[in-house]
Amino acid sequence: MDTKQTIIAILQDITGADVSDDLDQNIFDSGLVDSMATVEMLLELQDQCGIDVPISEFDRNQWNTPNKIIEKVASMQ
Amino acid sequence: MVNLQPYASPSYFIIIGLCLLPIIVGLYHGKRFVAYETLFSLVFIVLTFGGDHWHQGVALIGYVLYQLLIVGGYARYRRRNNQTSVFVAAVVVAIVPLVVVKVTPAIQVGSQSLLGFLGISYLTFKAVQMVMELRDGTIKAFQPLPFLRFLLFFPTISSGPIDRYRRFEKDYRTAPERAKYLQLLNKAVFYLFLGFLYKFVLGYIFGKLLLPEVAHAALLQRAAFFHTGLSLPLLGYMYTYSMYLFFDFAGYSLFAVAISYLMGIETPMNFNRPFAAHNIKDFWNRWHMTLSFWFRDFIFMRFTFFLMKHKLVKNRVRISQCAYLVNFLIMGFWHGVTWFYIVYGLFHASAIIINDYWLRFKKRHQGLPHNRWTEGLAIFTTFNIVCFSFLIFSGFLNVLWFK
Amino acid sequence: MNAHKTIWQIIGPVIVAVALVAVVFIVPQGFGNVSKQTEQKAAVSLSTNVFKGNKIKSQAIDDGYVPFIGSSELSRMDPLHPSVLATKYHRSYQPFLLGKPGTQSLVHYFALSGVMRHLKNRKVVFIVSPQWFTKQGQMPTAFDYYYSPLETIHWLTHAHDSVATRYAAQRLLTMPSASSDRIMKAAITNVAAGKAITSGQRTYLTTKEKLLVNADDLYSRLVSGRRLRHIQQAERQLPAHDSTAQLTKVANRLGAQATGNNRFGVKDSFYNLRLRGHNVQNLRQAERNFNYTQSPEYSDMELLLSQFAKYHVQVMVVIPPVNHKWAKYTGLSDKMYAQTDHKIKTQLQSQGFTHIVDLTHDGGQKYFMEDTIHLGWRGWLKMDQQVKPFLSRKQPAAHYRIQNRFFSRTWQLSQNK
Repeated sequence: MDTKQTIIAILQDITGADVSDDLDQNIFDSGLVDSMATVEMLLELQDQCGIDVPISEFDRNQWNTPNKIIEKVASMQ
Repeated sequence: MVNLQPYASPSYFIIIGLCLLPIIVGLYHGKRFVAYETLFSLVFIVLTFGGDHWHQGVALIGYVLYQLLIVGGYARYRRRNNQTSVFVAAVVVAIVPLVVVKVTPAIQVGSQSLLGFLGISYLTFKAVQMVMELRDGTIKAFQPLPFLRFLLFFPTISSGPIDRYRRFEKDYRTAPERAKYLQLLNKAVFYLFLGFLYKFVLGYIFGKLLLPEVAHAALLQRAAFFHTGLSLPLLGYMYTYSMYLFFDFAGYSLFAVAISYLMGIETPMNFNRPFAAHNIKDFWNRWHMTLSFWFRDFIFMRFTFFLMKHKLVKNRVRISQCAYLVNFLIMGFWHGVTWFYIVYGLFHASAIIINDYWLRFKKRHQGLPHNRWTEGLAIFTTFNIVCFSFLIFSGFLNVLWFK
Repeated sequence: MNAHKTIWQIIGPVIVAVALVAVVFIVPQGFGNVSKQTEQKAAVSLSTNVFKGNKIKSQAIDDGYVPFIGSSELSRMDPLHPSVLATKYHRSYQPFLLGKPGTQSLVHYFALSGVMRHLKNRKVVFIVSPQWFTKQGQMPTAFDYYYSPLETIHWLTHAHDSVATRYAAQRLLTMPSASSDRIMKAAITNVAAGKAITSGQRTYLTTKEKLLVNADDLYSRLVSGRRLRHIQQAERQLPAHDSTAQLTKVANRLGAQATGNNRFGVKDSFYNLRLRGHNVQNLRQAERNFNYTQSPEYSDMELLLSQFAKYHVQVMVVIPPVNHKWAKYTGLSDKMYAQTDHKIKTQLQSQGFTHIVDLTHDGGQKYFMEDTIHLGWRGWLKMDQQVKPFLSRKQPAAHYRIQNRFFSRTWQLSQNK
């Protein structure tokens, strides 16, 4: 499974919503992801993608759409 | 010896305006006069903590040296090792002075700790933040001078907004481009005048003119409603105090942001129309934002991360509830060790937990009506819950019931 | 070019704003007199702004208002309060209330310095509370709260060296307010040492005064009408004719209505608010060691008396009692209170202040006190019986003989036997 699919699956798992129709939506503004879900996502990324994102590295503006997350993760792998 | 309290009098603004002129001219021409800025900041810190407040000045110097030692020491250690126990110890040691200052008045009634000075909380937030980011590895090199500059950045020294080190450093290392700086200048002037309106007009009307009147009226109703003192004037006090709190603090924050902008530093905003919040969660994204984001990033998220990673609690709903409780309880204690600040913290924790139940319910029932009336109702409800929390926060109930 | 244009667009409004503020505050304005209605509101407002200001006080005195100088009792506005009586019966005088909790002689001395010349050959009523005469005298925090930089600057720039002036300056230096302005403090220090203020200090003070005068002129107009409305309501409870017999009846009736839930004859609402529960328990015998016979307040009062003498102000001094039952309960000594009364009167009479309303023996009468130490229904009425003729009729010119010994520590501490 590639990064894109993994991320979409993780987000679906955490938020219960399918984000694949709009990968540029702002997941924080829409209330889909909150601080709690962020932490879950970071943990999932650690488990499933093997990347370690410290909380202080997590700048909401750089992680606020599924596409940005995919890009970020890909760059860190 | 003169003593100038930050943003308190017209003379402060005149003096600061004159002293800032060289910096403004320099930045306009794309140059940052670091030496002048340092000198000017030092002079203002001396003016704030000198004169009658000299003992606070001494406490400040001691505190800064102490934090320099801790953060510097931890940075040195972190280059080679990364033990959790050392990290925890560094955080604990960094907050010890603040804890002493907050606990002293609760133990010895009416006395203030000698370690205290105006702004100690805000400096502590900055120092703890450094330790945590060093642990995370997002700050790699520790340099004493930039750290001091960050810690002692005088426009925000007394009451925030709380900036982040990496963001601050990035601004400080360069001078903004002219077009960008002109934008900052433009905003700064607007914020200054908005701040005058907020703090010296609206804050004055609510705080100095109306508040004593409603307070008096509410105290006269002490015996009302089975001696609970619940009365219409008390309601009046609640709204008046809430308005005063917002305009006074938002006004102050606008000044701090404006002065930072003039110096080419984009200190983050503290308020974003908080009374238009749709729910409590939304409220904390709009009210005293730099504080609530600090708590979010350095307490809430770290605590949930810890719980999840070690699988201490399985249920994710329980995890978030625990984290909210810890987060807001700490915030309550931070405001001061009195029953009303702690109840204020617990109240907000409960409110946000209930809020989360509602949000989950809404998610499960997608068919619920959503229109401008329900939105209006949401804003109205949130506003009143928030105002009630400020009534607790004000300490007025303490006077009403126990004094 | 473009950048320059932008910068002017940014700075332009700032310059305009600064210029406007300068015009409003630094250039003498003369915003004109305040309206009669504002004057009327201010006279009973007990507003701290009015108290600290000069504009309204001076204008009202010129218009015939009579200052009632006192402290917390002035806010006990039942229908027998002097302001209500004077309004209801269209008396030839109207009181201008000056004083709130914590205003004692020293506060009044400074706050009146700019209006004294308006009081020349006029009358005032001065309610002297024995409770002021504590070991400390004027409380510094209260002094701070009522401190008027405007009136104090007036005092400083008009000070002539004398025992009184030096004493006043020395007292001022013991208050935190004196340190709020460095240059002013230096000027006060000069005056305290019997020296003149320097020309530099004078320039600074007159500039600051201009600013404060303008601020006072602007802001003192914002007076709340709340207490005036209260007075107008209270008026309705009074009989149509200004007769002592009928007023006494009303006073008795109102007193009986408002008291009854406690054994002290204290107004019920006051009892509920301030005393009920632990408070009253804690106060039992709490005033056993109170002593009003030795206090700097005696010399502070002398400051006011010396000013009254200088401007030939005709003064009626009222000395209120304490609620007798309350005094018994708290253990406040009768003997000490009588000694205090005697010492105050000695100081007054020996200098020619002979219009004294001594009410100190009336604290046991029913409905005389509204609460523990404040005059109420019958108390106000008894005071009125002397105040009314004093203010309504022409009085022979007073002959005051101010004696500097009353500024001495010896007098403050003397236990006159």
